[in-house]
Amino acid sequence: MTDGKAYRRDVLKAGGAAAALGVGGGGFLQTLVESEEDQPSTSGIESFVGQNDVIQTVCSPNCRGKCPIDVHVRDGQVKKIEPHPPEDEQYKRACVLGLSHTQRVYDPTRLKYPMKRADWSPDEPNPQGRGPDAEFERVSWDEALDLVADKMQSLKADHGAESVLFHEGSGNYGQTGKSFKRLASLFGATQSAWGIDTNVGRGFNRVTGVGAFLPPTNEAEDWENANTIIVWGSDIFSSQFQMDASKILDAIENGAKLVVVDPVYTTTASKADLWLPVEPGKDVHLALAMMHTVFEDETYDEDFLRKRTTAPALIRKDTGELLEASDIFEDAGENQVVAVERGSGSPVALEPETGGAYALFGEFTVDGVACETALTRLRDHVADYAPEDVAETTGVDAENIRTAIRWLATRGPGGIAPSYALGRYKHGHIFGQAYAMLMGMTGDYGRHGNIHAHHSGGATLAAGDWASPSDADPGPSLTFPEYPDAMIDGDPHKIRAVYSIESNMMGNQFPDRQRFREAIRSLEMYVVADMHHTDTVQHADIILPVPHWFEQEDISSGWGSHPHLGYRHKVQEPMWEAKDDYYAIRGLAERFGYGDRFPETKRDMLRKLAGRDDDIDFDTLFEQGTQKKESVPIVKYTDEFPTETGRIEMYDDEAPSEEGVTFDVPRPLEDRTADDYEKADEYPLMFMQKHSRFRIHSQYEMLNWVREINPEPQLDIHPKDAKARGIDDGEYVRVYNDRGEMVVKAKYNDAFQPGLVNTDQGWWSRDFVEGHLQDLTHNEVSEVGQTMAFYDVRVAVESAPDDVDTDKYGSDNPRGSGAKATPTGGD
Amino acid sequence: MTKHGLVIDQERCIGCQACAVSCKQENNVPMGQFWNRVLTEGGEKMDTPSGGYPEDGGSGSLDMQYQPTACQHCENAPCVKVCPVNATYTRDDGIVEIDYDKCIGCRYCMAACPYNARVFNWDEPEHMPEEGTGDVEARPQGVVEKCTFCSHRVDEGLDPACVVNCPADARIFGDLDDESSTVSKYIDKYETDQLLEDRGTDPNTYYISGEMSPGRPQTSDKMESELDDVSPWSDGDDDVPSKEADSAGGESSGSSHSVEGGEIPYATPAKSGGDD
Repeated sequence: MTDGKAYRRDVLKAGGAAAALGVGGGGFLQTLVESEEDQPSTSGIESFVGQNDVIQTVCSPNCRGKCPIDVHVRDGQVKKIEPHPPEDEQYKRACVLGLSHTQRVYDPTRLKYPMKRADWSPDEPNPQGRGPDAEFERVSWDEALDLVADKMQSLKADHGAESVLFHEGSGNYGQTGKSFKRLASLFGATQSAWGIDTNVGRGFNRVTGVGAFLPPTNEAEDWENANTIIVWGSDIFSSQFQMDASKILDAIENGAKLVVVDPVYTTTASKADLWLPVEPGKDVHLALAMMHTVFEDETYDEDFLRKRTTAPALIRKDTGELLEASDIFEDAGENQVVAVERGSGSPVALEPETGGAYALFGEFTVDGVACETALTRLRDHVADYAPEDVAETTGVDAENIRTAIRWLATRGPGGIAPSYALGRYKHGHIFGQAYAMLMGMTGDYGRHGNIHAHHSGGATLAAGDWASPSDADPGPSLTFPEYPDAMIDGDPHKIRAVYSIESNMMGNQFPDRQRFREAIRSLEMYVVADMHHTDTVQHADIILPVPHWFEQEDISSGWGSHPHLGYRHKVQEPMWEAKDDYYAIRGLAERFGYGDRFPETKRDMLRKLAGRDDDIDFDTLFEQGTQKKESVPIVKYTDEFPTETGRIEMYDDEAPSEEGVTFDVPRPLEDRTADDYEKADEYPLMFMQKHSRFRIHSQYEMLNWVREINPEPQLDIHPKDAKARGIDDGEYVRVYNDRGEMVVKAKYNDAFQPGLVNTDQGWWSRDFVEGHLQDLTHNEVSEVGQTMAFYDVRVAVESAPDDVDTDKYGSDNPRGSGAKATPTGGD
Repeated sequence: MTKHGLVIDQERCIGCQACAVSCKQENNVPMGQFWNRVLTEGGEKMDTPSGGYPEDGGSGSLDMQYQPTACQHCENAPCVKVCPVNATYTRDDGIVEIDYDKCIGCRYCMAACPYNARVFNWDEPEHMPEEGTGDVEARPQGVVEKCTFCSHRVDEGLDPACVVNCPADARIFGDLDDESSTVSKYIDKYETDQLLEDRGTDPNTYYISGEMSPGRPQTSDKMESELDDVSPWSDGDDDVPSKEADSAGGESSGSSHSVEGGEIPYATPAKSGGDD
């Protein structure tokens, strides 16, 4: 044993260092261990346990986690992060990234001062000066905001307020965006409308009346009641849901069957009872084969179909339209559809949430009109999709398709948990329609153990019309995919200036990077607020430095996967001259003459917003750090569906069409995954950009601890595909198509389906030897989905040229460019 | 007596690296060094499987599992035996620890350790941020260092950092000498292995594979022995979820916990949150 010469240092009394940290004496401040008198350590290791001030706050990226965390501070420095169990302790959570803010908060990529591109002025914007070689000079906050306000005002006077675009990303889940939109609404600026990951929800919404990005699903605490979980196109244990991994693991431990549908043998697939290695783009075929099996086995939930869906509704055989009750009954309500009662054979108008002895199948003549039921139509539609019929197309063994859906249909409540990945194929909304109907057949809505998406929605602060006050005259909105045409060609209207917050749009988030760069180069002013010197910041004219989350208080809400709101207490004051986005927003509002519409301090604003939500008490939330929103339902879909009929719609007689295909029932339609795609031979490999556990979008790219594990972008490629091209494992390769190229290191990976390659997303330009993965992606979207199709991309791969410079990953720089500071300028 | 041990449920482990990184953070481990590594059992590289991609649409032969690996805190530790200056020693509670003041950097222990659990500070240790992280003092250049089971936390009644920070509840720490502890219960109930059992090192780290356990039973950062309430699984087999649930096959009409829509929800086993 040791000689006991090491002594623990004095333990700070509770609250002792609070004033120095500027956090006051709230209930969130605590020390970990009560003081004891100095005692010799028995460990021989000098320990600081008990000496930290512990401040409860919230991690805030767009990962759904909204993890309440404890930040340990000692000697004025953040020393470590731990998860903080909220009131409902089963939602204790945090991941490798949230636990590593200790490095992020001090990273040299952090922006320090407001800056202006050296060769930019309001009258001579010199747009060609934007980009990797741009240089910046430090300006004061007042100068920066004056420049921005003056330019916006002059554009408004000359070209109308809609020539200014307020672009908001997903990089900071607090209340800032609501004030940003409030300013945009009052100014009349064009506002951004989401065009990423909206596909699957749109399709699901057509059937159920709900769903935007992904549909609502039972809260995570209910997942262990599932008897079958079909995870579809999601590496749920690596991204999005890993902070809730314990919930799925508990379900498995409870006896649930886990099925994974994925072209990749992922971590999640490695935990599955059954893995279906589907080929990219064939998910709708697979879903239709599952429907076929349910019909074949007659395992559909008859009571559910009669009570909560339009399965028994009659379709006119002459027009293909649903028979309307108002055509038959004088007192029928609008939008009511008609079923036939078994036995009597008489027609009856369908009420929402009302069961009856309705015929699910059959052909009937009503008032002289020949009809068949919607379920009959669906059964006939999927008759061509027997598992054997689709086995070759989908690449999945027929009997395994049957087994998967039989588990869901016969083992009690369960669900399908798709990710956004399915919507990253151009026509991905069709899958949303398909699985919404499939789960209608199995009756998996409104029960404990039902699952409809790979993360739940959690709690959101209901802030009413703060973002769009009733007296404002908001400008138009523009979806992300529409940006380039608007900026370059003025279609649908010319965008001349952009104010961007919480977004690395020019780095990781937008496809077809060269086209978007061209678009940005057509602007007169590009204002970017960020925490770090990202690729997007490098393209800016005016840079507004935003503090780390630990330096800005906020209320964490929205799109979180647990039913609490969190109060993001400041851990420390902003470093350098970084200032909260709210400071800039209010500063601009003052210059525009709406200063009085924005409370003076951020806390006043937060108090005001919290006051609009009856389920939340600001003081309680502030003191506790989290407040559970009891009004969040654990089980979803228990009420009438918000569709025209109040039911799940198993047939759509007003269905949209794309490329000659009508989606009255789910019909497969593919873009670049189609076997006959014209450039399939030229670019033979499908290219996806998986979310990994090592970054959230492009956030955390700079974490040196993580980069020791995952140092650089790689191309996952099946050894067979690599060897056919003479590519060795670990060799640098050029990945290219008709839009651009990138050079990354090849990684032989048997988990990947031959014909499919992948580079995990989230890397910055500086991390690539050449190019960027978004140089390969395109900006073509489908009419219904209006969603960027990042995975619907083809590439070719070859060995990189011999003269390519890979020094950035040399032995003296093992973590790549992440080990080096990006020049931030101004200091 | 107390004998601290760690049970790692490989069925629960999702390879997320939270344990590896939070270990570095808590213990101020220098850049370039790991006390705790999440190894992939499968292909040659991290996150790759063994076997071949299915060619017939079936499930194929791909296989992958994660094996978090740190000092195994061996009962019969070879590193302790070879240390010429007694810098490495076994505490009364079973933790194998290094007195860094005594270590002369000869690295015999590194050669003796079959688990590659020890690292040597060849250079002046680099920390990011420079001032260091976590709750222990940095070690100097020229010494060997390794996992301590977070003895500085254990001495204060706290579980090791890797255990508290695991989002999959896959790591369970406790007293192997106490039959009622969760670690003892799990070792008794589940199929567990010690790494390289044939070496006779008798590690105090056990790995569950095969059937998944319910994982770490508390959300508190405190050790189980510090909690007022005993763990939900410590008072008899009734509370251990039954093995029967696992036997419900595809043709079965439901498993043991199915719930109908209108019924009271299945009650989540209350996870003990500690004594405060």
